[in-house]
Amino acid sequence: MAEPAIRVDGVRYAYGDIVAVDDVSFDVAVGEILGFLGPNGAGKSTTLKMMTGLLDPQAGSMTVLGRDMPGDKEEIQQQMGVCFEEKNLYLDMSGRENLIFFGQLFGLKNFEPDDLLRRVNLFDRRDDRAADYSKGMRQRLMVARSLINAPTVLFLDEPTDGLDPVSSQAIRRIISEEADRGAAVVLTTHDMLEADKLSDRVAFINEGRILALDSPESLKLAHGQRGVRVRARKGDAVEETVISLDAADAGDQIRAAVADEGLMTIHTEEATLEDIFIEYAGRGLE
Amino acid sequence: MAAVNRIGAIVRKDFKAFTRDRFYFFMTILGLVFYVAIYWFLPDSVDETIEVGVHGSVFAEALGGVTEAESQGMRVVVFDSPEAVEAAVAGEGETTVAMGFSFPDNFLEAAAAGEVTTVSVYVTGDLPPQLRSTMTGMVREIAFAAAGSELPVTLLAEEEIILGEDRAGNQVSLQQNMGPLLIFFILMVETFALAGLVASEIQSRTVTAVLITPVRMSEFLTAKSIFGTLLAFSQAVLLAILIGMLGTSTVALLITLLLGSLLVTGLGLVAGSSGKDFMGILFWSMLFMVPLMVPAIAALFPGTAAGWVAILPSFGLIEAIVRTTAYNESLVDILPYLAMLGAWCVVAFGAGLFALRRKVATL
Repeated sequence: MAEPAIRVDGVRYAYGDIVAVDDVSFDVAVGEILGFLGPNGAGKSTTLKMMTGLLDPQAGSMTVLGRDMPGDKEEIQQQMGVCFEEKNLYLDMSGRENLIFFGQLFGLKNFEPDDLLRRVNLFDRRDDRAADYSKGMRQRLMVARSLINAPTVLFLDEPTDGLDPVSSQAIRRIISEEADRGAAVVLTTHDMLEADKLSDRVAFINEGRILALDSPESLKLAHGQRGVRVRARKGDAVEETVISLDAADAGDQIRAAVADEGLMTIHTEEATLEDIFIEYAGRGLE
Repeated sequence: MAAVNRIGAIVRKDFKAFTRDRFYFFMTILGLVFYVAIYWFLPDSVDETIEVGVHGSVFAEALGGVTEAESQGMRVVVFDSPEAVEAAVAGEGETTVAMGFSFPDNFLEAAAAGEVTTVSVYVTGDLPPQLRSTMTGMVREIAFAAAGSELPVTLLAEEEIILGEDRAGNQVSLQQNMGPLLIFFILMVETFALAGLVASEIQSRTVTAVLITPVRMSEFLTAKSIFGTLLAFSQAVLLAILIGMLGTSTVALLITLLLGSLLVTGLGLVAGSSGKDFMGILFWSMLFMVPLMVPAIAALFPGTAAGWVAILPSFGLIEAIVRTTAYNESLVDILPYLAMLGAWCVVAFGAGLFALRRKVATL
């Protein structure tokens, strides 16, 4: 079995008496996108800070690309890309200057940022100061910055938070492309739909502990009902019925519903990730 | 080598940010122009002649034409009434004098007969007390001599014994005294600029973006220290050149300015790490600036400082500048002051690096 790109084993971190992350374990394979889901204050960002070397775990161990974190931090960070939730750009510098500066920090000789700027649709505004960028443009520049060194592991903290649908779509496309290239991606979000669309697996985290870790499909199958919900017009009224797929005559009932001239909609009854999270955590994501 | 390149990249970025920050850049240029203008506007020589007004028939005639007294730094102006002397001392008459005497007409006779008589001494409120007592002592001496007595003191063959360099006729001018204060001010302006850059890096959290690259915390701190020191040192040297202070004891002065730049860089790191916004930086910078300014003010008005001033971090800096520029002392002569300054540099830098490291860790 191939060595995972990231392995986290029983890590813990507390800010004084407040335990932010408690005995968290998971791993991420090469080319996999792991969605890290949880409400604000659940411990997502602290876990991310430990994985990126900004905080040292107080217990447990972590390896990234087979190297010890934080022991081999410098070597790991050379192959790591991080997109923070805060837009921590140098606002007085242009988009191009921001990327060139970080290219120098990664030791990239003759780094040319134009291709990256085209990829995030900022090429036409490359010489404008980042201070003059819109929120979406700054976020795209943040994503571009995280890709400067063609990272083998990519950490993205709420990369589409508050963005318009077009910008969100563009960033999701880039994340998928990076995973296809072979990067292990850890995506921190509280957007269940985004996690569902992008992630190969999702981890639910709440109050510093991982509650569940599986593929979205498996979680939905395990926690949803095997059935379809049918809405049909009957005279002036709208009737809603649920057909159980476990019933002996389920096929006949579905065929009859489809043949009904009053049929309006027919949907599967699988649970959403949000429903499942609430089932585990007893609370929603907000 | 990679670390050197990374440090270089951060220093270049900081320099770019500094030149683009219109406020700090403008303050630096304006400060430089302003300080140079002030310096050259101040008088570069000292008028050592004291003008004394006298009323009294016998002494007025005797003193009025004394050229010897004038050559020793005193010019006597004769007035025809006590009121005229008083007005001249008060600055209300046509002629102005620093102090005045009014001898009664029967002064010589009364003094010779051993009778009590009164001499009025007029001085302004700002005359140093030492000079006041000298003047009254002089009147007593004249009365003593008029009574026919010899002074019970045997003077040495030499007229006076000078301890140290005789500055008579070569006093340090207000302009020269102002130099250290201006150097201190320009260094403090750069403290403020560095603090602003550090604070903005913390506030915008760009520091965390830098620290998840291969850049180590020690490299980041080194880059900030190099930039702050270069900024302060270059400004101080430029000012020293423009006000003509770099001509004598050049090496000693350059070393002094370099240590001074290190001192203010350490303070800038503390202010930048501690101040959350512009007002915070202003607060911390002023907190350092006010006590540190005391030795510079003391240099402007020699003899006014109490002994405790020597424990202030800027004392070594100011004293070394004064001694190299006003008294042409060599590097060896100012070593004790450089040692004091160096020790304070270590303290300030230690505090600055500690504050910045602690701040970054809590982001």
